[in-house]
Amino acid sequence: MSRPEVREIAWLKEASLSTAVVWATPSVLGRITKELGIAPVSPLCEVPESADTLIVAGGGELMDQAKHFRARLRPDLRLILAPSIWGSGAEISPIVVLNANGVKEISIGEEFLPDAVVYWPELLETVSKVRARHACGDAWSHALEAFLSPLGCERVKNELAGLIAEMTQLPLRADPRWFGASSRACRLQAKSSVGLVHGIAHVLEYPLRVRYPEQDWGHAKLCSVFLLPVMELNRESSAKWADLTRQYGLSEEVLWGVLQQLFEPAGYAQALPMLKENWTKILRNPCTRTNGVLIRQKHIEFFERVVA
Amino acid sequence: MTNIERLKDLVVEVFLIDPSDFHLGLMRDQVDTWDSLGVVSLAVGVQETFGYHLTQEEALRIQGITDVIRILESRGIAFNE
Repeated sequence: MSRPEVREIAWLKEASLSTAVVWATPSVLGRITKELGIAPVSPLCEVPESADTLIVAGGGELMDQAKHFRARLRPDLRLILAPSIWGSGAEISPIVVLNANGVKEISIGEEFLPDAVVYWPELLETVSKVRARHACGDAWSHALEAFLSPLGCERVKNELAGLIAEMTQLPLRADPRWFGASSRACRLQAKSSVGLVHGIAHVLEYPLRVRYPEQDWGHAKLCSVFLLPVMELNRESSAKWADLTRQYGLSEEVLWGVLQQLFEPAGYAQALPMLKENWTKILRNPCTRTNGVLIRQKHIEFFERVVA
Repeated sequence: MTNIERLKDLVVEVFLIDPSDFHLGLMRDQVDTWDSLGVVSLAVGVQETFGYHLTQEEALRIQGITDVIRILESRGIAFNE
C-alpha cells in the first residue's frame, strides 16, 4: 500500500490551484481563504465537474467524508488533506469511519488514501486547550491500544514503544509535533488493532451527542475520558501491561502521569450511566474484541468502582 | 473450579453466548460471534485462563470446543478431572 506524499505548506501555496476546490471546517475558513486565495465551498455538495483537485482542511470526520466522496463519486479528483488538528490520523489512513444514523460504518481500502498530506502548523492556532487535550487523548489511545494489541507483532510493538517514549516528551497541548506522532500512531495501529477505548468511543459517541448536545462529546473526548480507566482495567486484569512496559523499557510512572492528566472526572461521571446501558453493545464491538485483555461482562463493575 | 468449568466460562464470555448453549460438541459454525475476531478473543482468553499462548496456526485450526481441549491437553492441561 503506497503512502501519500507528505508536503510542507509552502508546496501548497506555490501550487497551481486554479482548478482546485476547498472544503474547510469553520474554524480555519478565514485562514484558508486568505492564504490560498480560494473561497471554500460547502463540504459534500459543491464540487464542479471542472475541478481537478479537492483540498480539505479540517478534522478527522471531514477528511473521512472527503476520502469517501473522492473514492466513490469522483475518483478523478486529486485529494490533498490538511488536518486542522491531530489525533485521528485520518490523513494517512486507508480507513474511513462514517456516521450513519448513529452507527459507525467502517470501510478500508487503498482507494481512500489521499494523494498528498500537508501539515500546516498555523492551523493549530484555532485549537482550544480543551480540544487539544482531547486530540492528545485520541493519539495516546491509538498508541497504547496498538501497543497492547494481541495482533501486533514484535516489530510493531518495538516501533510503538519508541513512539510512546517520544510522546511522553510532548506537551498535552497544541504542538505541531503532534501531527507526526499522531500519524505514526495511526499507521502502527493499522498494523495491529485498537481496543476497548475505541469500542466505547464508537458505541457511545452518538447517544452522548444526542443526550448532551452542548458538551462536545466526540471521538477524541471519549478517548481522553476513558483511556485511564481502560488502561487501569487492563493493568488490573492481566500481567500483560506490566510485562510489556518492562520488556520495552517504558516507565509506568510516566505513562500513568500522562493518563491522569487526560482524565476528566466530570465527563466520566456523565458518561458512566450510558456505558452501563450500552455495555453489551460495547462487548460486541469489533474494537473491543481485539483489546489486549479479554473484556468480560463483569468488567462493568470495574468502571463503577472508578467513580467510587 | 475444574478446567472444563473454566473453559465453559471463557467460551461464554468470549462469544457472548448463554451458558446453557455450551456443550463439548459446540462447533465454530454454530456460533455467529465465533468469527475471526472471536478467534483473537479466544486466544487472549486462553492465555489469561490457562497460561498457554496459542500459536497463530493453532488458533486458526480450531473448529470447535474439542479442538481447544485437545490443544490444551497436549500442553499438559488436564480436562478429565
